[in-house]
Amino acid sequence: MKSPALHHLLLTLLTTAGLLMALPAAAELVVVVNPKSGVEHLSRDEVINIFLGRYRQLPSGISAQPVDMPASQPEKSLMYRLLVGKDLDQIASYWSRLVFSGRTSPPVQAASTEEVLRFVAANRGAVGYVDHSRVDNRVRVALEIQ
Amino acid sequence: MRAPWNKSILESTLLAVLVVATVVSAAFILVTLNITDRRAHESSSARLSELVESAENTASIACFVEDYTLALETARGLLKNSDVLGVVIRSDKQELARVYRDRATLASGTSSRPGRLVRPLYSPFNPKDKVGEIQLDADMERIRQTTSEQVRFVGTLLVLLVIAVVAAVAAVVMFLVVRPVQAMSNRVHSMDAAAGETLPVPLGHTKTELGRLAQDINALTGRLVGTLQHEQQLRQAKELDERKYHAIFDNVEACIFIADSSGHLESINPAFARLIREALGREAGDKLALSALPWVTPARPTEMLTLSLRSNTPQADDLEMYLPGEENRWLNLVLRPIGIELVQGMATDVTDRHQAEALARRLLVTDQLTGIRNRAGLESALRERLARGGEPFALMLIDLDGFKHVNDALGLPAGDEILKNVARRMLSSLEEQDVVARMGADEFAVLSSVAHGEEEAARIGERLVQVLNFTFLTEGTPVQLGASIGIALFPGDGQDVPSLLRCADLAQGRAQANGGGRCQFFDPSMAAVAEQRRQLDADMRLAIRRNEFRLYFQPIVDLQENRLAGAEALIRWQHHAHGLVPPDVFIPAAEESGFIREIGLWVLDNACLQLATWLKEGQDIYISINVSARQIPDGLPPALIADTVRRHGIPTRRLVLEITEGVLINDVARAQAWLDEVTNKGFRVYLDDFGTGYSSLSYLKRFAVNSVKVDKSFVRDMAEDSSDRKLVAAVVSMASSLGLTTVAEGVETREQLDILKDLGCRYIQGYYFSRPVPAEQFAAAALRIGAMLEEDKLATA
Repeated sequence: MKSPALHHLLLTLLTTAGLLMALPAAAELVVVVNPKSGVEHLSRDEVINIFLGRYRQLPSGISAQPVDMPASQPEKSLMYRLLVGKDLDQIASYWSRLVFSGRTSPPVQAASTEEVLRFVAANRGAVGYVDHSRVDNRVRVALEIQ
Repeated sequence: MRAPWNKSILESTLLAVLVVATVVSAAFILVTLNITDRRAHESSSARLSELVESAENTASIACFVEDYTLALETARGLLKNSDVLGVVIRSDKQELARVYRDRATLASGTSSRPGRLVRPLYSPFNPKDKVGEIQLDADMERIRQTTSEQVRFVGTLLVLLVIAVVAAVAAVVMFLVVRPVQAMSNRVHSMDAAAGETLPVPLGHTKTELGRLAQDINALTGRLVGTLQHEQQLRQAKELDERKYHAIFDNVEACIFIADSSGHLESINPAFARLIREALGREAGDKLALSALPWVTPARPTEMLTLSLRSNTPQADDLEMYLPGEENRWLNLVLRPIGIELVQGMATDVTDRHQAEALARRLLVTDQLTGIRNRAGLESALRERLARGGEPFALMLIDLDGFKHVNDALGLPAGDEILKNVARRMLSSLEEQDVVARMGADEFAVLSSVAHGEEEAARIGERLVQVLNFTFLTEGTPVQLGASIGIALFPGDGQDVPSLLRCADLAQGRAQANGGGRCQFFDPSMAAVAEQRRQLDADMRLAIRRNEFRLYFQPIVDLQENRLAGAEALIRWQHHAHGLVPPDVFIPAAEESGFIREIGLWVLDNACLQLATWLKEGQDIYISINVSARQIPDGLPPALIADTVRRHGIPTRRLVLEITEGVLINDVARAQAWLDEVTNKGFRVYLDDFGTGYSSLSYLKRFAVNSVKVDKSFVRDMAEDSSDRKLVAAVVSMASSLGLTTVAEGVETREQLDILKDLGCRYIQGYYFSRPVPAEQFAAAALRIGAMLEEDKLATA
C-alpha cells in the first residue's frame, strides 16, 4: 500500500507539471450530472460508489449511469487518481474481476469530453466528469474534484 | 543372576547408551512433537491467513459491490485448499457466499469454533471503510492428521537415530574396548609371567589407554615376578639357613638344650643325648632334669639356672661331671635366658683345657730341673699354710755354699747334677708333709710344721746342714758342698708370705756371712741391719746430688821406665752422717741395686775431668777406672766413654778400663762385643783381681785385654809363701808371653817390690809408693815417688 504522503507528493508533482507545461489551463475536474437528476451535490464517496459499481442509484433514487472518459484522455487518469488514488491499470484490474462474475459492469465509455457532456445532458441518471473549463449549462456540477 | 555392575562392559555400555538415548530421544520426541504440533498449527493458521489474505482483495471487492457471484467464486477458490473446511463471505448487509465441504457440519454463527478464522474486509478504495468479513473454517482434523504424520516421521527418525547410535557405540565399544580387553584378559589368563612372557599391546592400541594398560600390566607383572623371585630367594636362603642351623644343632660337638625354670630339659641335641647316655647309661627320656646328671656339684646347675632367670643374664661356669668308667669330665655350662621362663643352655667339653690348665698350674709351681716346687709353688704353699691358721711352722731358706764356683768352674750340667742331688737329699731327710722347693739358682726352701717350736726347727735345720755337707764327684773332680740355712718361724717372726721370706732370707744371709755350713734363726737385729742397708741404698742415691763421692788416686809406677805411669781412680764415699763408707760396703750394694751405673758414669766423668787437668799441667800419666760387671754392656756403652773423653779432650789411650773376670763369665758374647768395641776405640783394658776367680787362663787369649793385675792377696804372701811367688811368676811370664803387661797390686814392702822386679813385673801399685790420695795431694805423692825412684836408681847405680 502506498502512503498518503507519497500520493500527495505525486499529485503535487503532476499538478505542478501540468501548470508548468501550460496544459489546458485549469487542471481541475468536476463531476457533472444531468440538471434534471434531482441531485444538487454529490459527496466524494457517492461519486466513488457510483463510478466503481457499488451503487447504481443516485441519492435522488434515479438509477445512476456513470460515464468514463476514454483512457487516452488525461482526465480519466486524473479522475481516478484524484478520486481513489489508483492508476488506470489498477482500475482495469478491479473491473476485470467484477466483469468476470458478470453481475456488475464498468461505466460506459465515452469517446470524448463532448460525448460525456452530451451523454450527461441526455440521461437523467448520468454522472460524468470533465475538466471544469468544459462545463456548460447542459450539465450541473455536483462535485469539484481536487 | 548377575548384578548390573557385573555385566560386561559391552552390556553395560549398551544398556547405558540405550537408556540414555531412549530417555533423551523420548524427551526429544516429546519436545519435537510438541514443537512440531505447534508448528503445524502455526503453519496451518499462517497458511490459512495467507489464503485469506490472497482472497481478501477479491472478497473485499465482492463485498464492496455486493457481488454474490464473485464472493462465491472467491469462497470456492479458497475451499480448494484441503485445509479449508468452509468459507463464508458477508457484506455489511447480507451473507454473500457460504461454501462448506460435504462432510463438514454447516455450523455457523459460533465464532469460537476452533480453527475458525474471521477477517474483516475493507473497501478497496478506503481502508477505513469496513464493507464485510470473510470467515474461514480450517479442517482441524486434517491439519491434525498432517501434523501427526510429521511427528511420526520425526519420531521414527529419532528412533532410527537412537538405534544407529547404540549400534555404533556397541561396535566401537566392541571393537575398540571389549575385544582387546577380552584378548588381553585371555592372554593374561594363559600368560606365564615367571617364564618372562609379556602381554602384547593390542594391535593399533600402541598409543591408547589400552596400550598403556598393557604396558602397565607388563610393568606390574614384571615387578610382581621380581618380588616373587626375591621372595623365593629369601625363602630358599631361609630354608638353607635353617638347614644349616639344624645341621649345626645336630652335628655340633657341644651339648645344646633348652630347659624350663625347674631345670627340666625341653629339647636337646644329639650331642647332649650322647652325653646323657654316657653319664646315666640310659636315654634321656621325658622331662629329665638338668640336676639329675651326675655333677660333682649337683646344686650348682640349678643355682645357675635360678640366677640366670632371676637376673635375666647369661650364667657360665665350668662344672665337673662323673662319668662311669671314665675320668671326670669338665663341662663349660652356659645358661642364657630366652624369655618365657626358659633358658637355652650349652655345655662344651673343656676337660682338655682343664687338664692343660692343671698341668700349667703344676708347671707354674714346679721347678723344671729338680721336679720339686719352685718359688711360686713355695709361696702358694706358704699362703695355704697361712690360710689354714695358727699351726706353727718353720720356713727355711737354704743356700749352697760354694755352688757358684762349681757352676763357674765345671759348667752348668755339673751344677744341674748337683742341684738334683741336693733336692733328692733334702726330700729323703724330710717328712712327707714337709714342702721342699727350689727358689732359684742354688737356693732352696723348706716349709715344715714344727709343733715343738724352735728346738724342732733347729733339729731339722741341723739335719739338713749335715745332709748337705757332702763331697760331690763330678767328672772325677770332688766338690765340697755345704749349706747355709736361714730359719724363720711362724707365727713369731712374721705373719705373711713376704715378711717370712724376708726373715728367712736375712737369717740365711747371716748364716752365709758367718762362714756357711750352719743354720741361723732369724732375730730382729738382722732386720735392723737390713734396714741400715736399705737406708744406705737410699743415701747412696742422694750421694751424687749431695756431692758426697770423692775420687782418690793411687799412683802406678812403671819399673821399666822408672817413673810414675798412671793412677787408679778409686771412689770414696764421705757420708754426711756416718763419715767415710768403704767401697767394699757400698759398691756391692750399688751393684745389687743397679745404682752402680750412675756411680760408674760419675766416676768416668770425674776421672776424665781430673786427667784433663793433669794433662794440661804436663803430667804424662794415664788413669784407670773400675768397671763392674753390672755396667757391661749397657751401663757404660763404649760410645759414651768415647764421647766423654772427647768432651774432656783426652786421648783414648790415657784411659784404662779395669774389668774383673766376672765380667767375662756372665754373658760372654755381649761382654766380648763390648770389649772389642772399647779396644777398637783405643782404650786399654786391664783384667783386675787376676787369679782370685775361677777364670781360665784361656780368657786372656780370648779377650782383648792389655794387661793383667795380679791380686794383692798373692802379692801379700809372696815373700813368705813360695807357692804364691810361683803363681805370680807364672802369671807374669804367661802374660808376657801373650804380649800383656802385668800390674802388681798391694805392693807394700821393698822386699815385695824387689821380687816383682825380679819376676819381670813392669807396673807396681801399692802402699810402698803411695796410698790412694785425693787429687789435691796427688802432685805431692808424685814428687815423693819421683824422689824414691831417683834415690833407688842412685842406689842401684
